[in-house]
Amino acid sequence: MEDIKINGTLVWYYYICKREVWLMSRKIVADQDNKFMDIGRFIHENSYGREKKEISIGNIKVDVLKRHKGNVLVGEVKKSSKFQESAKMQLAYYLYKLKEYGIDGEGILMFPKERKRIEIKLNDKIIADIKDMEKKILNIIYKDIPQEPKKIKYCKNCAYSEFCWS
Amino acid sequence: MKKVIYIFNDGEIKRKDNTIFFETDDKKSYIPIEDVSDFFIFGEVTLNKRFLSYISQKEITIHFFNYYGYYMGSYYPREHLNSGYMILKQSEYYLNEDKRLNIAMEFVNGSYKNMLSVLKYYINRGKDISDIDESIKNLSREIPKCFTTNQLMGIEGNIRDIYYKSFDRIINNKDFVFEKRSRRPPENYLNSMISFGNSLMYVMVLSEIYKTHLDPRIGYLHSTNFRRFTLNLDVSEIFKPIIVDRLIFSLLGRKMITKEDFEEDMEGIILKDRARKLFVQEFDNRMRATIKHRQLGRNVSYRRLIRLELYKIEKHLMGEKPYSAFVSRW
Repeated sequence: MEDIKINGTLVWYYYICKREVWLMSRKIVADQDNKFMDIGRFIHENSYGREKKEISIGNIKVDVLKRHKGNVLVGEVKKSSKFQESAKMQLAYYLYKLKEYGIDGEGILMFPKERKRIEIKLNDKIIADIKDMEKKILNIIYKDIPQEPKKIKYCKNCAYSEFCWS
Repeated sequence: MKKVIYIFNDGEIKRKDNTIFFETDDKKSYIPIEDVSDFFIFGEVTLNKRFLSYISQKEITIHFFNYYGYYMGSYYPREHLNSGYMILKQSEYYLNEDKRLNIAMEFVNGSYKNMLSVLKYYINRGKDISDIDESIKNLSREIPKCFTTNQLMGIEGNIRDIYYKSFDRIINNKDFVFEKRSRRPPENYLNSMISFGNSLMYVMVLSEIYKTHLDPRIGYLHSTNFRRFTLNLDVSEIFKPIIVDRLIFSLLGRKMITKEDFEEDMEGIILKDRARKLFVQEFDNRMRATIKHRQLGRNVSYRRLIRLELYKIEKHLMGEKPYSAFVSRW
């Protein structure tokens, strides 16, 4: 297992379900027939069409990238603000990675369905959290088997639930 | 819920206005692509590359049956769920003789236990088949003693031979005697129905495999020959008794299919069009019928049950949870 790298998706799932992080790292993706997957895909494909989308920088892939008043603005599109903490950390991780490339950017979380936006900026506290999180994610990924499934409230609508509970 | 689209009519199928359009001599119809899980094509259908490319993009499989209703092949679009990890695991469990045997054994276990649950149903309805039930149970004791997959295939074959002896007593209709298992070509009505039903089962499982990270070419019980699909044959063993055989008993028991529904051809005894459609329709009804799933705590369709079975195999390959085949409780 050499070329496993942390990416935004793994950060996002880290705060929701650690088992999912492991599965994602092995490209064992969730059931694509799940209706929530469809909704997500639809929002992704049909929102913010005028702006540049899906830019890959190293092993991160950002939804929206643009210049704004001389700054680099990174946007992350989400279906709902239900997992706000998770989304915040994912975006902060992107900003952190950009910083490594020497780019200081600002982040903005976008919830098109809710017509809501949240601004994110890096600070020392967040950077310390990200470093800690990176270690913990690698710890999960390098294990031979995933963490056992645990029933949490997210299982209800999760596209992995049949995989986990079959 | 996406549906299987069964096409019996002759015509042209194509992409039109961002969806599917099917045109026959006297009818034109749109098939909304988002509702399609796969196509089973029985009629003489013309299609082009543009259609195939659209189908691939939407990750839909197409299964073709020839004029006689025999399975011809599938259009299995390029894999969309790629997990190098899973392919390595699947191969590892194939190459290691013990690991392979272990999975193959569970397929045979699931298969014979489901045969027993079919028999149990008819024993409770007063059919005189307890001796067959007994013989299968005796033979099943040989399963754990096998140390090669060939031996296992042998036991599986013996169990199946005994199991088929129950068919005459269950069906109890002189037009539909079993005699012996014959394929390519099937030599009597019953064998023709079994072959047809089994091929529907094989392709249904194949379609479900497409939606997982498993490679259909690496099977465990049936020998892999690296080009043909085999994992679907393995998994079908579990479901054939409870889906196909029950379906045949019910079609014959309710006299929905009689000897008039067959014709003899160069290719053997084949089902006529009307009966073939009816068979497929009833098969589809069964795939969509739901049962209560204990672990999930809700109802799932038989079709979904196949997917869950594949998930269980994936978890076995991951070393997470030993695979235990689905066994019907009634």
